[in-house]
Amino acid sequence: MKMKVGEVLLLFGFTGVATTMMLAFLWAPSVSINAFEEPAAQRIFYWHVPSAWAAFIAFGALFVGSAGWMFKRSELMWRIHIAGSEAGLATGLMTVWSGCVWGAAEWGTPWDWSDVRLNTFGLLTLLAIYLVLGRSSQPDGVETRDTFAAFGLYGFILVPFTYVATRIWSIRHPGPVIGTNDGGSLNADMGLILLIGTLSFTLLIFGHMLTSMRITAFEQRIEALQIQLDGGK
Amino acid sequence: MEGMTYLAVAYFGMIIAVGLWTYTVVQRSRHLSERIGALEAAVKAASREVAED
Repeated sequence: MKMKVGEVLLLFGFTGVATTMMLAFLWAPSVSINAFEEPAAQRIFYWHVPSAWAAFIAFGALFVGSAGWMFKRSELMWRIHIAGSEAGLATGLMTVWSGCVWGAAEWGTPWDWSDVRLNTFGLLTLLAIYLVLGRSSQPDGVETRDTFAAFGLYGFILVPFTYVATRIWSIRHPGPVIGTNDGGSLNADMGLILLIGTLSFTLLIFGHMLTSMRITAFEQRIEALQIQLDGGK
Repeated sequence: MEGMTYLAVAYFGMIIAVGLWTYTVVQRSRHLSERIGALEAAVKAASREVAED
């Protein structure tokens, strides 16, 4: 069977993610035992940061799709909204899960309710859960789409808020390690694995969103064909 | 060593979960594509019957 663009991206993305995991486990340099309670757990960073990056891409797509549906009533934009919410849910859970694994090892607790970034990112993931479950339990229609698109639009405010949270409030979540004024705290090997991970997660999430958009288009086509077959009722 | 074992289990769990998610999405896409083919054939057959009548 001929592979579609989305499937090719998924294949390369997944291979890259698996390679990143292997490199993180076997090749990444160890961190100082003085800087961390559990230095081994720091390797989760090579999963956590790229998945958070992919989540921001997905929530960006959710915002674009929501706005496009609200202002243009475009079917394509509605498909982007659906793809963004599903991809946002998956990558959001990946980020939260990997963060909890690291938090349990490093802090002694998987979640800190006083940390702003944890809570805003948790809210974003909850928003994605609401959108995905809500859409599957509600009949499709303009009103339903408007409601979910409004949540997608307003929920996006949490993205820049989450991004700047550790720069404004240094509570428990570590601050940025790249893009800082002092050049960052990553050495070349760490940076390379992080780059491979980020590119791989980007390919994976675009592959997922393209395939998800295709699935939604198929579902709509099947519904139309079924109506035609039933005599146009 | 205990920390690395926990990490290996966490990594393994995550990669299996992503693999399953990816596999499910691709399979669903292919399944729906086949269903569309079958439905289109049924619609064509139905319209031929109507034309013959």
